[in-house]
Amino acid sequence: MYGGGNVFESMKATALADEDPIKLAEFEARIDRGEKIEPKDWMPQLYRKQLVRMIEQHAHSEIIGALPEGTWITRAPGFKRKLALMAKVQDEVGHGQLLYSAAETLGKSREQMLDDLVSGKSKYSNIFNYPAFTWADSCFISWLVDAGAIVNQVANSKGSYGPYCRALERICAEEAFHLKYGHHCVIHLATGTKIQQKMMQEAVTRWWPPMMHFFGPSDKISVHSEILMKWKVKMASNDECRQQFLDMYVPKIWELGLELPDDKLRKNPETGQWEFTEPDWEEFKRVINGDGPCNKERLAVRRIAEERGRWVRKALLAPNAKYVAPLA
Amino acid sequence: MSLKSLDPRVGRLHISEQEGNLETPKGVLDQFETYEAFVQVKEGKSLDHVGPVHAPNEEMAFLFAKEQFTRRGSFCNALCIVKTENILMSEYSDNKISVYDAVVTNPTGIITEEFEIFHLFKRGKQHRYIGTVNALNFDDALANSKVFYPSEKPVYNVWVVNSKDILTSDDDDRDIWDTLKEKQYREAIDYKGQDLIKAYKEKIAQD
Amino acid sequence: MNTEAIKDLLYKIADDQLILGHKNSEWTGFGPLLEEDIAFSSMAQDKVGQSWQFYKILNELGETDPDTLAFMRNAEQFHNCQLVELPNGEYDFSLIRHFLFDTAELIRFSMLSESSFEPIALLSKKIKGEVKYHTMHANIWIKQLGSATSESISRLQASLDYAIPFALGIFEPSKFEEELKQEGIFEGEAVLKATWLGQIEGIIDQTALKMPSLDQSHLGLGGRYGTHTDHLQPLLDEMSEVFKVDPTADW
Repeated sequence: MYGGGNVFESMKATALADEDPIKLAEFEARIDRGEKIEPKDWMPQLYRKQLVRMIEQHAHSEIIGALPEGTWITRAPGFKRKLALMAKVQDEVGHGQLLYSAAETLGKSREQMLDDLVSGKSKYSNIFNYPAFTWADSCFISWLVDAGAIVNQVANSKGSYGPYCRALERICAEEAFHLKYGHHCVIHLATGTKIQQKMMQEAVTRWWPPMMHFFGPSDKISVHSEILMKWKVKMASNDECRQQFLDMYVPKIWELGLELPDDKLRKNPETGQWEFTEPDWEEFKRVINGDGPCNKERLAVRRIAEERGRWVRKALLAPNAKYVAPLA
Repeated sequence: MSLKSLDPRVGRLHISEQEGNLETPKGVLDQFETYEAFVQVKEGKSLDHVGPVHAPNEEMAFLFAKEQFTRRGSFCNALCIVKTENILMSEYSDNKISVYDAVVTNPTGIITEEFEIFHLFKRGKQHRYIGTVNALNFDDALANSKVFYPSEKPVYNVWVVNSKDILTSDDDDRDIWDTLKEKQYREAIDYKGQDLIKAYKEKIAQD
Repeated sequence: MNTEAIKDLLYKIADDQLILGHKNSEWTGFGPLLEEDIAFSSMAQDKVGQSWQFYKILNELGETDPDTLAFMRNAEQFHNCQLVELPNGEYDFSLIRHFLFDTAELIRFSMLSESSFEPIALLSKKIKGEVKYHTMHANIWIKQLGSATSESISRLQASLDYAIPFALGIFEPSKFEEELKQEGIFEGEAVLKATWLGQIEGIIDQTALKMPSLDQSHLGLGGRYGTHTDHLQPLLDEMSEVFKVDPTADW
């Protein structure tokens, strides 16, 4: 699961000027034709750097994203929910695997990416720095955070980089189950007993502000993002994604009798745009830079998992092993 | 003092503050080598590349690929594993030009090795298994493949693998996928909530 | 057919699968390698799924519904062997338990595929294939780690030494061994145990590990009739925490 709102590298003014103009023209023509770029193709440094960062952040978001829902994996009520949640959390790890592999084709090793995650150097989707207090919180995440991620993923699946597209195709197929499962859980709680309804409403109230942060701040149009859009690296603006999400899901939330903690939230009948209270971007910045409720825990858990598994990996490594990056 | 969490599993990990803050960089190959996996979903369907796994050896790669790439669906007929290092790759072409246009040699006719051929028919899609050629080496395999597996559609990339480098699942082991179609809990179709929403709306309307 | 004997058999199988599947699901997201994390999670789901199918047969025989059976009983009402309720420890213990238990389970389902009680025979035939993958996985892991480094070998040995007495609790004879045998429902724990031992030793022989002695104390026995370690009740409390918020609610 991943929401965009990621920080793109700031571009050096002369970066593109250093690139071979003929190769650059061929590269751009290929993208304009709608043909995908594959790992062995020539690509501008900026394209490679931005993509590695984007795909890597997406991968980290999946691995860390497994943790808030995993909070409830041992406590899911009933067989149906138990099996489904086990499968869903497994899928997040699976998506991480697919995405790291895609990023690897661009030249960064999985070892380096995992190191950058646990050191805090690389970022992941901020929403996972919040705690899943109740079963209903895990249901909110399964439905609406996944829904947000799908908006982003569907957009990116039309991007230009072959390996990322292939990974996203598999991911989107599995997300269909996640979305349905999450919605199913929320419907049951929201239309269930008084206790269930209260649990769900409280979770919604808690998670709505981080959800509004999910797609990131308004991106100012710059030369930078224009080039990334031309290269089909950035496929939709943060605002566009947020509007799409609100349009698809606020009515579905309201139809269950759930209230959202924003009096301003409404669809403007004239503009067709959703209006809302501007999210607190200072909080967003604070949390993404380490000061959220769960940042420490998320990274500590990942560190421990890597550390305690070290003896296993060391034992299995063949002495004559030689690394070759995945091909596609 | 161990890390407290809302997740009881995390509590049971007994993570001390010191341990939780320790970052130990990974050595080279901590995540092993990679293997590419290929799946044939059903008898008669194509064998297609599905993606890579990191694994210390072929046996493990098979175990991993089975769950990463075939835990969904109704059937799986075969799973193949090749160490990435053993896949020889042609150049890439684009824009309706076939990579075979650049293959100008004729087959040598020297049949010392057996190779398996995979074609990419569209950039962004997966490589597909085409068939076997008997040839001298990689270049000869391409020359053979051009003759024996001509394609109307342009081929944008070719993978060539020596047959002995491919691990294929045993026919006898097909039963490991027997229960695949029973796992409805992983499929979107198993979750129908509209009736509940409808009933809720009716109840609200009545109140 | 002797329904009490059949239920006894079904309960212990279902409870074993549920508890072990539940324990193994704790590794999801915490595994030593992403790919192995994914594989181990699948096997945990298989076990929980299998337990569900066995509870459904119990339900058809007049016991209450599967969710209630799984989420509302207390420790002394469970019939799992003690092995499956033990804490996960580190990956060495979990792998050893996986190896010991799943080897027995594949043999059990192979035997039960011939059962005169059709629902069990059908289910066993159906799930045998997926359990075969579990033993494939376990055997490969034990053979490789059991011959690798001094650390992996000593860890596995320590776990094996600790686990074996508990593993013997899998084969505790049922009150209905004779009836089950006579009616052709199940050939019995003694046959299962003997076959299991041969297979376990066969794999251990291919490693640097040594089979611990089997003449142990009675540590590890009693699970089949409700005598459990201190670990089971907290496990059940946790597993049923949300369900018990309202057992009559539709979650």
